Amino acid sequence: MRVSLNEIKQYIDGELPPVDELVKRINEQLGGVEDVIDFGDIYKDAVIVRVVSCEKHPNADKLHVCLIDDNGVVKDVERGNDGLVKVVCGAPNVHAGMLAIWLPPRAVVPSTYHDDEPFVLGARELRGEMSNGMLASPKELGLGDSHEGILELDANEWKPISVEIKAGTSFATAYGLDDQIIDIENKMFTHRPDLFGQLGVAREVAGITGKTFVSPNWYKDFPKFNKGSGLDLTISNDAQDVVPRFMAVAIKDVKVKPSPTWLQAELVRLGGKPINNIVDVTNYVMLLTAQPTHAYDYDKLRGHKLGARLARNGEKAELLNGKTYELTESDIVIVDGEGIVGLGGVMGGGNSEVSNDTKNIVLEVANFDMYAIRKSSMRHGLFTDAVTRFNKGQSPLQNPYVLNLLLKSVLDVAGGVQASEVEDKHDELNDVQSVKTTPEFINSRLGLSLDAKEIETLLSNVEFAVDTNDGERWFKAPFWRTDIELPEDIVEEVGRLYGFDKLPRELPQRSIEPATLDSRLQAKRLIRRSLKQSGANEVLTYSFVHRKLLEKANQDDSEAFGLSNALSPDLQYYRLSLLPSLLDKVRPNIKNGFDEFVLYELGKGHNKRNVDEQGLPNETELLELVYASKQSHDGALFYKVRRIIDQLCKDAAIEVTYQPITESLDYPGASVFEQSRSAFVMTKNGQTLGIVGELKQSVRQGFKLPDTVAAASLSFASFHEALEAVSNTYLPLSRFPAISQDISLVVAKNVSYADVYASAQEAVKQDNDESLQLTLSPISIYRADGSDTKTITLRLRAVSYEKTLTDDDVKVLIERISEAAKRTHKAETI
Amino acid sequence: MKNDDIVASVRTELLERYKKLEQKSDILKAPELKDLFARIPTLEPRERAAFGQAINALSMELKAMVAAESGDEKELEPIDVTAPFDTNATRPELLPSDHGTIHPLSQEIAKLSDIFNRMGFTIEESREIDDQYHMFETLNFPAGHPARDDYDTFMTVEKDADGHPWIAPAHTSTMQNRVLKKYRQNLENGEAIAAVVPDRVFRNEDLDARHEHTFYQLEGVYVSKDVHAGMLVATLQKFLEEYYGRKLEVRVNPYYFPFTEPSFEFSLSCPFCNREGCKVCSHEGWIELLGCGMIHPNVLKAADIDPTVYTGFAWGVGVDRLVMMKNGIEDVRHFHSAKLDFLRQF
Repeated sequence: MRVSLNEIKQYIDGELPPVDELVKRINEQLGGVEDVIDFGDIYKDAVIVRVVSCEKHPNADKLHVCLIDDNGVVKDVERGNDGLVKVVCGAPNVHAGMLAIWLPPRAVVPSTYHDDEPFVLGARELRGEMSNGMLASPKELGLGDSHEGILELDANEWKPISVEIKAGTSFATAYGLDDQIIDIENKMFTHRPDLFGQLGVAREVAGITGKTFVSPNWYKDFPKFNKGSGLDLTISNDAQDVVPRFMAVAIKDVKVKPSPTWLQAELVRLGGKPINNIVDVTNYVMLLTAQPTHAYDYDKLRGHKLGARLARNGEKAELLNGKTYELTESDIVIVDGEGIVGLGGVMGGGNSEVSNDTKNIVLEVANFDMYAIRKSSMRHGLFTDAVTRFNKGQSPLQNPYVLNLLLKSVLDVAGGVQASEVEDKHDELNDVQSVKTTPEFINSRLGLSLDAKEIETLLSNVEFAVDTNDGERWFKAPFWRTDIELPEDIVEEVGRLYGFDKLPRELPQRSIEPATLDSRLQAKRLIRRSLKQSGANEVLTYSFVHRKLLEKANQDDSEAFGLSNALSPDLQYYRLSLLPSLLDKVRPNIKNGFDEFVLYELGKGHNKRNVDEQGLPNETELLELVYASKQSHDGALFYKVRRIIDQLCKDAAIEVTYQPITESLDYPGASVFEQSRSAFVMTKNGQTLGIVGELKQSVRQGFKLPDTVAAASLSFASFHEALEAVSNTYLPLSRFPAISQDISLVVAKNVSYADVYASAQEAVKQDNDESLQLTLSPISIYRADGSDTKTITLRLRAVSYEKTLTDDDVKVLIERISEAAKRTHKAETI
Repeated sequence: MKNDDIVASVRTELLERYKKLEQKSDILKAPELKDLFARIPTLEPRERAAFGQAINALSMELKAMVAAESGDEKELEPIDVTAPFDTNATRPELLPSDHGTIHPLSQEIAKLSDIFNRMGFTIEESREIDDQYHMFETLNFPAGHPARDDYDTFMTVEKDADGHPWIAPAHTSTMQNRVLKKYRQNLENGEAIAAVVPDRVFRNEDLDARHEHTFYQLEGVYVSKDVHAGMLVATLQKFLEEYYGRKLEVRVNPYYFPFTEPSFEFSLSCPFCNREGCKVCSHEGWIELLGCGMIHPNVLKAADIDPTVYTGFAWGVGVDRLVMMKNGIEDVRHFHSAKLDFLRQF
């Protein structure tokens, strides 16, 4: 939102602070300033001159040699004895006696000011005649596209600034171009439709600087419209639900021409572009009041009718941008007697545009439902100045004021006479509701102790009305505000106008009740600590994946939630599990020179089959991990990952066992694992924590992985539950030394280690002798190449709380192991 | 021996050996096969064709066996998963612990959470998929409100029971209603609701060095009696001073969010240059850090909290940006790249 400082000054009584200070205040109390443009610098060298003489150039048909009078204000320029300056001019409209704009030598041509290499004028000979700088066209001055001739000023033309137009006057000063443009972020004004006009911002600036806002009469006094006649005009509103108000008036005998210079200068400062006087006035009134307005060529309105209705499905509209749009019944259209002449609140139609031949016009000031406008704008991708304003919700109460100004301004700049009644079609319009609150409430929300008077002054500066009734205070927002409904809105208003930075800064007080620390977060920290110790790297990868990733991991995309509006196909689906994303990151790291690593992630999987009672998708929290190495290994990779999970469970004090996977698993988390070389991780309570295993060959090939990768997938919820169930396993120390002995058992190659271990464990502990601490641990598993048997060596460590154990004590236990193994597994002891 | 018998006996021998081989493809390198091929030139020319065909047939047979073995989903030799290590192998080592890292965003979230925990806030987690009720409705964004446009939300193809798509939350405020309800009892016990929600959020944006569609935000809420806007400023100031370990100046500018009234944009004096001006603060001396405000009464009402009795404040701060500023990270995309040369620096 571009704000002109010269513009808003007109409505503020008293001097504004310097620009830097003002920008700071606006930042603190109104909205973020994105940019400050020193407009005056663009025009600093442009001077008004009188062309004293204008002779044909002796050596060129189309050029004239002019002597100009700048009243001697420009220094360091070549002058004749009479003080006049010679300029060669090629414009067909140059003539003696005219007032023009001179850009002297060393001036930058304003239209090139923002170019990478601005054009700097000089003094040079043109076909043998010296030319000092140039006389400027509207285009060169950045005022529209016209460059057929130079700009001719009319000294008698009305303009808002009372600086006399004569030779030597600065162009910028005379037309308000010595301006500072403050560009404020639109987002700040999402709830403030009134701040999309200069008038609204001026009011706020007055409020925050403690100055009085001087509302112009046309915005203060409810207008009394004149009667008018001469042109038939029928107005209709068949969509009052979404068009709360539709006002229009016809004018005859206007003269369409370029706008007066002052108006062009206004538009240019506010970011607009002069087109013709009628269009310029409609735009200027919008920039001033925030209320979009529109002008139609009366004679192009078929049947001399104008109205609003909802479009019919499939109806087409050709708009001002030359494009044709197919509409639906939620679009609001403006129609004449035969068809569409505009997309209401968004853009006018090409068929009813005001052109240079236009004689009679209709002015429209309507109000549209913000939600309807937003929908149309989004669906058609049309984002216009009108949309920016209408989709914030303009107040329908301001339409008569705006139409009154628009009507007067058009008559002023384009002549003509009002030729119809002012038509006004609307349903019941609600007046602004007063909000009841108290100074106590306002102070309690802000931590202040303002008295009622101070509050009233702050609010009345921005034209709130205050009504005191039996000690209650009613605050009534002015009619252009649509955002004041609650006492909290009054609090915001007071706080902002007072200055939020001046609020007392005190910390809330609380009791010493400890804040809890969620055990799930503690569990996650434990996991991260353990895996860091194990040399693993935590990664974060996207929650969304490409279909290809699911395919490579043998996962079924029909189980995954799909994204309907992702900008990239890489984000097609919510992932079912994390491993596909992790596997996808292995190869780039290997290629980048990392030979051996573990990547893991704590994240979530989502599955359409898995929703809660309310239908909300369940979130499955997972800990997934991949080990990768460039080198081949001593032993199956399964054991490498198992080792990491063993350590994790040890750090968490969760006892786990690994069990072969015998049934076929069909859930997405299991899809990558080669089941014959994978295991369930089970707690001693029989709960499954997850899977550790090697990957299917197809998965490895799909992700272009080496053979030496293996992975794990644990359910975080199960891990957390197991962690919560952990009990103390401490054993008191004994005074007596421990004694160890190994035993090697030869069993058939298909007998599992766990079975052998279990039989040994049972054998040594059969006495339940609590005076003994017995620990069995694996030493080696050996199988000769091609042999049908393998040798499992276990070490028994024994310590007694009562005595020093002897070799014989241990020998008894070892023999028991041997016998048990023989009995259950036909094992031979060697 | 007849030529045919020679091939047959080699075949028997190789098939027997094949069964025992660990690396099945080694069979194709068997010296016997080479020897057979070497015999061809020594044979009578009329015998060569038949002999060659017989060797080729054997070679094809072996190749087919190996191919079948290593083909898609071949039956790998099962392992004894109950053993702590493989047969004939030692117990595997863990990777060196100095290779291990925790993701910088996780580290920062832990750090931020710890500070807030010490200040009396509990820590909650957010969701990655949610309904529009929590993402918008309970936060005072009516359906069709233009403020919804400020959040470029990802939506699912699938619809909820009301026919609305699910949403990938664009802010952790999607948890605000749940958190307020969860701790509502605190208010009745005379305690405050004080919670922070650090978690992953999503915006449908094109990626570049400064824009990510996936990032982390820390949402905070505080509700009690007599809470005013000055307390919001003081609380965040205290937090930031603790986080940066130094005194800081802070300021608030008015802003607009539907779920707070009034709303602010919160800035702090640059902690990296002491307001002298540096690269981090774009030589401004100030850093616009977060959005915050007093919780809108409609948001409290949506959680069955009486806004005439209780008031509170809420804020949301981007975690990625804190980490980037602190470490001078040049590209936000590194966070989700899983690049080890990035991760191992933290």
